[in-house]
Amino acid sequence: MPKHHRPAGKKKEGNAAKYITRTRAVNYLQVSLAIFRRLCILKGIFPREPKKKVEGNHKTYYHMKDIMFLFHDPLLQKFRDIKAHAKKVKKAKAQKNKDLEDRLLDRAPKYKLDRLVSERYPTFIDALRDLDDCLTMVHLFAALPAAEGERIQVQRIHNCRRLSHEWQAYISRTHSLRKTFISVKGIYYQAEVEGQKITWLTPHALQQVLTDDVDFNVMITFLEFYETLLGFVNFKLYHSINVKYPPILDPLLEAIAAELYALCRYIAAQPRTSSVDSLPITSGEDGQPGLEKLDMQTEESELRLAQLQHQLPTNEPGALMHLVEDSKAEDEDIDVETKECKNLFKNFKFFLSREVPREALLFVIPAFGGAVSWEGDGSPFRESDDGITHQIVDRPTQGHIFLSREYVQPQWIFDCINARIILPTEEYLVGRIPPPHLSPFVDNEAEGYVPEYAETIKRLQAAAKKKVLPMPGLENQDLNDPQTLLVKGIVDRTEANETAEKKRKLMMLEKQFHDELNMELQGIAYSSLKNKNLDSTVDNAKEDTITPTEEPEDLSQLTMSRKKRKLYEAMKIGQERKKDKVKLLHERKKNAEASKKD
Amino acid sequence: MGKSQKSSKEVDELSKEISRDVTANGSTEGINEKDDRFQPSDLVDSLEDEGSPYDSGEDDQDASDYKSHSNAEESDSSEDEVQGSPYDSGEDDQDASDYKSLRSAEESDSSEDEVQGFSYDSGEDDQDASDYKSHRSAEESDSSEDEVPSRNTVGDVPLEWYKEEEHIGYDITGKKIKKRARKDRIESFLAGVDDAKNWRKIYDDYNDEEVELTKEEVKMIHRMLRGKTPHAGVDPYAPYVDWFEWEDKGHPLSNAPEPKRRFIPSKWEQKKVVRYIRAIRKGFLKFDKPKEEPHVYLLWGDDSTAAENKRHGLSYIPAPKPKLAGHEESYNPSVEFIPTQEEINSYQLMLEEDRPKFIPRRFESLRNVPAYENAIKETFDRCLDLYLCPRTRKKRINIDPESLKPKLPSLKDLRPYPSTCYLEYRGHTGPVKTISIDISGQWMASGSSDGTVRVWEIETSRCIKVWDVGEAVNHVTWNPLPELPILSISVGRDVLILDTRLANAENQARVKELLHVEESLLEEDEGNTTPVVRWVRDDKYDAIRLKHLKAVTTIDWHRKGDYFTTVVPSGHTRAILMHQLSKKHTHSPFQKLRGLPVTAVFHPTRSMFFISTKTHVWVYDLLKQKVVKKLETGLQEVSSISIHPGGDNVIVGSKEGKMCWFDMDLSSKPYKTLTSHHMKDITNVAFHRLYPLFASSSEDCTAYVFHGMVYSDLNQNPLIVPLKILRGHNSSKGRGVLDCKFHPRQPWLFTAGADSIIKLYCH
Repeated sequence: MPKHHRPAGKKKEGNAAKYITRTRAVNYLQVSLAIFRRLCILKGIFPREPKKKVEGNHKTYYHMKDIMFLFHDPLLQKFRDIKAHAKKVKKAKAQKNKDLEDRLLDRAPKYKLDRLVSERYPTFIDALRDLDDCLTMVHLFAALPAAEGERIQVQRIHNCRRLSHEWQAYISRTHSLRKTFISVKGIYYQAEVEGQKITWLTPHALQQVLTDDVDFNVMITFLEFYETLLGFVNFKLYHSINVKYPPILDPLLEAIAAELYALCRYIAAQPRTSSVDSLPITSGEDGQPGLEKLDMQTEESELRLAQLQHQLPTNEPGALMHLVEDSKAEDEDIDVETKECKNLFKNFKFFLSREVPREALLFVIPAFGGAVSWEGDGSPFRESDDGITHQIVDRPTQGHIFLSREYVQPQWIFDCINARIILPTEEYLVGRIPPPHLSPFVDNEAEGYVPEYAETIKRLQAAAKKKVLPMPGLENQDLNDPQTLLVKGIVDRTEANETAEKKRKLMMLEKQFHDELNMELQGIAYSSLKNKNLDSTVDNAKEDTITPTEEPEDLSQLTMSRKKRKLYEAMKIGQERKKDKVKLLHERKKNAEASKKD
Repeated sequence: MGKSQKSSKEVDELSKEISRDVTANGSTEGINEKDDRFQPSDLVDSLEDEGSPYDSGEDDQDASDYKSHSNAEESDSSEDEVQGSPYDSGEDDQDASDYKSLRSAEESDSSEDEVQGFSYDSGEDDQDASDYKSHRSAEESDSSEDEVPSRNTVGDVPLEWYKEEEHIGYDITGKKIKKRARKDRIESFLAGVDDAKNWRKIYDDYNDEEVELTKEEVKMIHRMLRGKTPHAGVDPYAPYVDWFEWEDKGHPLSNAPEPKRRFIPSKWEQKKVVRYIRAIRKGFLKFDKPKEEPHVYLLWGDDSTAAENKRHGLSYIPAPKPKLAGHEESYNPSVEFIPTQEEINSYQLMLEEDRPKFIPRRFESLRNVPAYENAIKETFDRCLDLYLCPRTRKKRINIDPESLKPKLPSLKDLRPYPSTCYLEYRGHTGPVKTISIDISGQWMASGSSDGTVRVWEIETSRCIKVWDVGEAVNHVTWNPLPELPILSISVGRDVLILDTRLANAENQARVKELLHVEESLLEEDEGNTTPVVRWVRDDKYDAIRLKHLKAVTTIDWHRKGDYFTTVVPSGHTRAILMHQLSKKHTHSPFQKLRGLPVTAVFHPTRSMFFISTKTHVWVYDLLKQKVVKKLETGLQEVSSISIHPGGDNVIVGSKEGKMCWFDMDLSSKPYKTLTSHHMKDITNVAFHRLYPLFASSSEDCTAYVFHGMVYSDLNQNPLIVPLKILRGHNSSKGRGVLDCKFHPRQPWLFTAGADSIIKLYCH
């Protein structure tokens, strides 16, 4: 009898009925593999791991319900239609029937993905949770060359650029950016939107090379969905801050590729214009339907004008500051962290040199409350502005120097953001090699290795907090001089250590008392208690004489079940590996220091 | 030229003849009639063709004048002709030839146009005859082929007919036209050599003359050879000019009547129109392009209605998020994150999957950071993961591994237990295979493979007695009764029941009595069957010798000290034997045994009996004489068994180093199997009689001590806590600890090693 024999006339049961291999699924749906793949990507269907792989271990299994889900999707028919249509077009082309071809191309079947978005993400939070990949992909495509004849349509890339800028504008506007990290792969950002932490990666603003070892069809299918998703997410987000979507941008700024700045201005202008656009709508409702259209048109142009007019004053220095203050009044109910982020660069004015990555900094600095300008057309203020406190430069030497401002490298901004304090600029000045840039995503304590600079930052943070809280009067004075903070921080630390020690002892005693009380309540015999107490007191003396310390550990493993023991061993191996890594780091550091001394 | 002159003369002559005729008749009508009669149309044609009247007109001025006059008259209607012609003749009849030419011109009605054009031409340029001729030939080319008069007058007959003749045809006067004298080859060659233009000359067979081709003709020939049109001026691909004026012509080309279908509306057209109308009405057909709908809108209105906002179908497993970047991915990591060159080189030796995917690098400033070359590839890989990787929910355990360990009571609470080696008993010269402790706790017996059995005083480690039994000792056991210090020793096939003489005086007598064997009693049995065991008096040791058929491995005493059992593994149906010491009687109660027996033990309190085969333990009720239980050990080869003094728990040790704890009330399967402690065979397992302790000894030179607490509450499972690993024995010939026994009253453990030492571990 074969292994999975099923008598004739009996239905399949269990895993054989529940799961279906990919080949069978493709045959079942009567589509080609390519279409199946697209369907799976768009519908978000993935293979599953059955408990028992009936048809072999090396096959991919889909759940039958998932396949039925595809089977009933109208998209399936749409894809078939598209295939049939492509055949017709091809035929017309082969017959040189230009007229028919044109007509057919006009009537190409189209599909929309909004239904799929709502199906896959029934709530907005669901969509936000899955947004990481979406944002990374859209940002990557936004950085690809938008050239005709490449494998990706130019329209696509422009759309990606637009979407990514819209997203960034929202994040920047709501000050929900939390962490940033410049890595070799690009710049990581982490934002918090509606309580969800969303992390994405943007490639460095350099020309990306399209590689050949990649199937762009797959990526484009993903992108197709992601574009739709991000469009809806952006709509919802803009809606939540009462801004019209899609935004209408200043063509001038758009032309000089400062879309992000244009968007920021648009959003800033919007809440005030909302009162403007409410008026024509009501009049339209009152009047005849014929007039409505006219009204709509005029309304739109009016709106446009109003926007531009509102944007105009922002060209003057200080107008942006005004905007920031403006927004303060609106949202009182923002949480502490947002407030902290918002006020980080509150009193600073930045100017970007030509060579620094403008897009990244234009996004990041306003997100933390700073005013920023750059060298070029359309910038809000000039380099010669007196109010500029920091100029971001990334060059070996700086020719002309304004004494009133500090010339720092871009890393300073990112480090400040991660530390949430204004770091001393000394080490970040022009021409110096900046201190190591550390990842904000790593929990140093859990990892077991704290880099030196992380400790420095921690001390500074502690110092800043300590000082800010009790003495608000001195705040301004001290903020400008972070070096004093550092010293103070160190002094504070030693004090804090002492107090902590005392506190711990007290806690210990208290705890012991409570434990004893509890035991008494439970009615545990005094003898055993005594025994225990004795043990604990004579602990050290006895243990040395009777048992070596490592033995009991070995023994307790004996009574574990096999499963637990294996797990335990695996975990131990993992810990060992971690320890080795940390050890390696320490070793390398020692070597580096030694070589430096030599 | 000369030719045409000649012919014109001929024509002159002819016309003169005719004119004479005319004058003779004297009337125009008659002339007309005469003309009709006499002049064959051929001749007229030829005359016209030759154009001779005009040639003649060329000669004298008057004729040409006249002609122009007649031409003017010709433009009048044809009725005038009749009247006009006599008048003309009446006016100037001096030149008949002129008159004739006029007439002939008038007569040829059909070729009116030709004559007209002709006369004009002659009027314009009458000096240059050659020009005139060529012009004519061009005009008349379609009417006749042979316009050039040929010398040959034979007509279109094969030249062969004249091959023999000297002439070729006749001239008009009837004289023979002579052929030209043939040049022979040399002559013609010489002529050719002198003449530079010889190559252009062609001999015309028909006319018998040499023709020199003009330059134009040569060119023409060249063009024809190349497959082009002869005239260079001809454009073969000239745009087609439709000379017919189609428009505004009153008459159609075809005179057929218009068909009916031109006047009634088309049925098929109407059908098509109807179809279109329907399509438009039903909305299949749309004329304006569909409006661009807003592609984004508020998709998620409010999330408050939880029921609607549930995802349908199977549970959604979100894809795991990609790992966040660590310090080493920084563009400017601290020095310790950057691997040295040696480390990078060593990565090459690693397996592909172990090799780190990312090697940290350090850039001194942000402007030096290049584009990441794997950006697209990594995103693509992520895409593949998203749609190709099977997803399952896996519980990720993020706990301290120490928490996995069972919560065992502190070892200090479980004291006392043997932990340190307190005494060593030295004296044996071979591996000590077996030991046994007297129930009083004072004496220990040991058997070794050096062939001696020793009895030691436990507290002093002094060897009291030594018996040399001559063969390797398999097993030694004390009688469990304290007043009967009898030792049973299995040596090869024999079992010795030995009096140790350690008892006090009154007991000594009893022992002596017990160990007395009457030979006659035994003889009796011999008659019937082959005896299983022979009870023989052994004088050397003052003991009883039980002679078995096969080697005896283990002996176990019943708690009352009268019965004992021996196991003969190769004894088949008589493998387990029961002996009664008081009656010196032996019987084998188990006729049928499933599996090879390894050991057999009595229950410590009840009348039960445990036989362990290699894989199972059978529990017999001795009173009911049947199997009570079968314990499934799941082991490969059981080596030892021990019963808890309470009687409900059994431990079984095996040769693969595993130990099973059976709770017989619970199940026939092990309550707990300890698998990983011993590396080699377990040689013995033992329970303590009083303390909740048990131990196992193994060939890997270790003995383990466990706390094994059995609770009287049936709901509470036994508590097993490993307490101590006892080391100290040395391995000899791959063997370690061969036996372990507890002291009957103290928490002490004795271990017998293959290194011929017995050790005592105390608390």
